[in-house]
Amino acid sequence: MIVIKCPSCHEDRHEEELEYGGEADVVRPTPPDGASDETWTDYLFMRTNTKGVHYEQWCCRAGCGQWFKVARHTVSHEVAEVIRYEDRFAYQKEGGE
Amino acid sequence: MSGRRLQTGGLVDRTKELRFTFNGKTMTGYAGDTVASALIANGVDIVARSFKYHRPRGFFGAGCEDPSAMLAVRDQYGFDAAIRAAEVYLTEGMDVRTSRGFPSAAFDLGVLIQPFARFIKAGFYYKTFKWPNWRWFEPVIKRTTGFGDIDPTASPRPAERVHARCGVLVIGGGAAGLSAADTLIDAGHDVLIVDEGRSLGGAALWSGQRMDDKDAAAWINARVERISGADNIRVLTDTVVTGAYEGNFFTLLQSISDDGGVRLLRHIKLKAEKVILATGAVERPLVFPGNDLPGVMLASAACRYIGQFGVAPMSCLAVFVNNDAGYRSAIAAHRAGIDVAAVIDVRDTPAQTLLDEMSAIRVPVMTGLEVAAAIGERHVRAVDVRPLAGGRTVRVACDGLAVSGGETPLVHLAAHRGMKPVYDPESASFVPSNLPDGWVGAGAVTGPLKLDEAVRSGDAAARLVVGEEDPTQAKSANPYNIQPHWRATTGDPAKMFVDHQHDVTVADIELAAREGYVSVEHLKRYTTLGMGTDQGRTSNINGLAILAGLTGREIVDVGTTTFRPPYTAVPMAAIAGNRVKTFYRAARYLPAHETHENAGAVFEDVGWMRPDWYRMNGEDREAAVATEMAAVRSAVGLFDGSPLGKIEVAGPDARAFVDRFYVSNIMTLKPGRIRYSVMLHEDGVIFDDGVVTCVDDNLFIVGPSSGNADTVAAWLERWRQTEWPGMRVAVAPVTSNWASIAIAGPKAREVLAALDPDFSISGDVFSHMSYRQGRIAGFDGRVSRVSFTGELQYEVNVPARHGKTLLTRLLNITQPMGGRLVGLEAWLRLRLEKGYLHVGADTNGRTTPLDIGMGGVAAKKPGDFIGKRSLALSYAQSENREQLVGLTVKAGALRVGGRILMDEVATPPCPTAGYVTSACYSPSLGYYVGLALIENGANRMGETIKIFDRGQVLAAEICRPGPFDPDNERLMA
Ligand SMILES: [Zn+2]
Repeated sequence: MIVIKCPSCHEDRHEEELEYGGEADVVRPTPPDGASDETWTDYLFMRTNTKGVHYEQWCCRAGCGQWFKVARHTVSHEVAEVIRYEDRFAYQKEGGE
Repeated sequence: MSGRRLQTGGLVDRTKELRFTFNGKTMTGYAGDTVASALIANGVDIVARSFKYHRPRGFFGAGCEDPSAMLAVRDQYGFDAAIRAAEVYLTEGMDVRTSRGFPSAAFDLGVLIQPFARFIKAGFYYKTFKWPNWRWFEPVIKRTTGFGDIDPTASPRPAERVHARCGVLVIGGGAAGLSAADTLIDAGHDVLIVDEGRSLGGAALWSGQRMDDKDAAAWINARVERISGADNIRVLTDTVVTGAYEGNFFTLLQSISDDGGVRLLRHIKLKAEKVILATGAVERPLVFPGNDLPGVMLASAACRYIGQFGVAPMSCLAVFVNNDAGYRSAIAAHRAGIDVAAVIDVRDTPAQTLLDEMSAIRVPVMTGLEVAAAIGERHVRAVDVRPLAGGRTVRVACDGLAVSGGETPLVHLAAHRGMKPVYDPESASFVPSNLPDGWVGAGAVTGPLKLDEAVRSGDAAARLVVGEEDPTQAKSANPYNIQPHWRATTGDPAKMFVDHQHDVTVADIELAAREGYVSVEHLKRYTTLGMGTDQGRTSNINGLAILAGLTGREIVDVGTTTFRPPYTAVPMAAIAGNRVKTFYRAARYLPAHETHENAGAVFEDVGWMRPDWYRMNGEDREAAVATEMAAVRSAVGLFDGSPLGKIEVAGPDARAFVDRFYVSNIMTLKPGRIRYSVMLHEDGVIFDDGVVTCVDDNLFIVGPSSGNADTVAAWLERWRQTEWPGMRVAVAPVTSNWASIAIAGPKAREVLAALDPDFSISGDVFSHMSYRQGRIAGFDGRVSRVSFTGELQYEVNVPARHGKTLLTRLLNITQPMGGRLVGLEAWLRLRLEKGYLHVGADTNGRTTPLDIGMGGVAAKKPGDFIGKRSLALSYAQSENREQLVGLTVKAGALRVGGRILMDEVATPPCPTAGYVTSACYSPSLGYYVGLALIENGANRMGETIKIFDRGQVLAAEICRPGPFDPDNERLMA
């Protein structure tokens, strides 16, 4: 059972209360129109499939609804680090169009 | 028939007699009996048939280790089609039946297979039934396999699910576990002790062992009493820890019983800070020809039947051992007045103390010998004994043979966490290596040990687990002086059974080794060794040791197979708990639910309880649906669309944000206007359709389909948080804040006017795909002019709490006009006449906007949107994709699921060109209409095609979706 302390509401959340969002830091090619077929399909389908520490996205679905990033060991399920997205984006806001 | 009840002895309550039936025959037992012990007391010795050869099977074990005695048991609360007889406590009136073996286990027709046993070797099915097609053989083979028959009339046993946590979890309430718990409660820890038995104590209660020269049972009882007086310990008996997971989470299965049987199954999810693993060990059998005959049993099982239940499984016992522990069965039998013919010991020189003990009770000990074969047809009647070094065979008469081949520690739970057990050659057992963090092992799970050592190890484990100094203590390396003896030295390997349930013999292992299946994981799958309901508790170690011998490897190099949860069988009903039927999920009701109910609504649970149709004037569903459709086409219909998704997207970047999700251009959507579009995943596949409303430049309402309301809200929020956190936008799902009633039909405007809107609703100002908000029906409301039916249609939204008032008022307005409430079925058929698609029904996991005729819209959009780039990939552009088209059938009935044949001459089975996704009879048109996904369908307009549907072939014409009112005159009215 994976238990992660949500960095936003600071509660221990069990995996049943969480939503898994796959590998973190998969970069969406911008602009997509400029990406080759290969770059784009790599973005769609290719993942690292790490055995070991894996950075991935989780959402506090049954709690506060916030997404965050987690470093999880894919064999032991040990959660080494939990990162709030707003920390990551704190000084790089992209404006509207 | 050799079992009987002993005159005295055992822990059963002889004052409480219980009646039960076995295959319809009435028998009696005592409170405290298991089904197994009660059957033995009644002289029953064959209760099952083995899996492959249908050989007779009796009671080989006395607990969870028993591989064979699976029975069908009905108590007052439920029915189990196949459950281990040794694990079910007897209750009054219990109905016990043999589970398989027709017509009875004692006389099994399947026994006719036995002469062919030589041909059903390992891998037999894989080799024999592969040509021309396994499916041809499957139905026949299935009838001869499996355990028990499900009784569809039996109601499931009540079950529930709970969560729990504790400081220290002690798994196992035997001597070691009790000792650990005792130490822990003195130190003030929060302790939970779990045991699968009805009471704490384990084997020491009945094995007749002594501890520091005192009666072990007395020591146990004193501990149990102390524990029951402490308030920092919880005791769970009749409970099995079925799985261990990361983070020290465990699943437990508790059976809560009363005099009527198991009245409740409780599935517990437990989080423990620390763990003491005190699960003990099970005895291993010895392997020799005929070792599966009824009457052959584990020595520990013989002890338990005599000591715990006061039954004698035999009247004359022979004992076959390779270690000291098995001698206990001779002593127990002697004390119970059972003749002991001999102890046959493979060792040349057993300890003198043992020999003295046996001589005191006049039991002959034959050393340096092995059992060459068990003799008998349906029950053992003698054993042939032969010197290990070779020589003359001697026959020893007996009607019971106790075997003891050493111990197998029950390391499963630690192994669930990835621990690999290691082979200890000294004690000839697989012991735990590195336990998970926070775990300490205690007692026989750490390797064979004596009872007083188990008590000391429990105390030491308790101190260690809470962080005291490591009180390392000396443990004897080989306390029972085992001398490994993995299989009989000679004899027919096809008669030496390793797995009694699946009939895996030494010959099968030899065959597997010859054919190169030398990894234990391959051996297991090729021979099915250890794949029975006992999960190989008694067979795995013997099997891999024999494999090691055959392949010239050390046992340690062969290793064990992977252990996976659950440790014992867990009924699916226990996992489901009470989350079934109405408790499966919370029911969601429409704000005006009662009004619908009063109007005769027949509800269907589609995530919300929605009216499927309305029962009026005694009409059946078809007639009612037709009347409802007619009302919409001729006058006016009212449809409750409250579950339709409503997500408010607000903020300065709202427009740009929404634009990124839809195929259509939202940048040009003016305030007060509405646009239909579809939403894609990044792979270009449609996952929702809906309408977007621009309230003003800072507020948009995204309207996903009802079933996707939550998913779409989560989708928008995810992108906002993880990809575009810089956008100044907020996403708020408000679906259930609003009651939404659709008014559809030629008289819709008249009805809307009667609600006294404070804004103009005339057709030229409030045109199709427009939005207004203001006072309506006396409330602050929102009105959208959109259409799902092809008619003039308005959706009136008022705060949810006013939904009932609004609907009641609308009913009063529309009744004199010939209006009526319309259910989901009529609503969906109206849209089908119009050809509007229903995502999920008319699209599948491959459908892109290009396949539904929205390629032009997508191409015209200047900006990016999710999934856009994927539409340029070659697979999306390919010509032979399935495209959505309309169908009309003038003669015959079109139904969903029909397959489109490739051409005129195609005859099924054959590849097809697509399928019918929606279909219904159109009362307005007078024939069947439908939608279909057809390869290259967009270029096949007007073609006549053949549809194969449940054996029939019918002709249909391909058309543009929606043959009804093709010029939208009604819609635009
Ligand atoms: Zn949270």
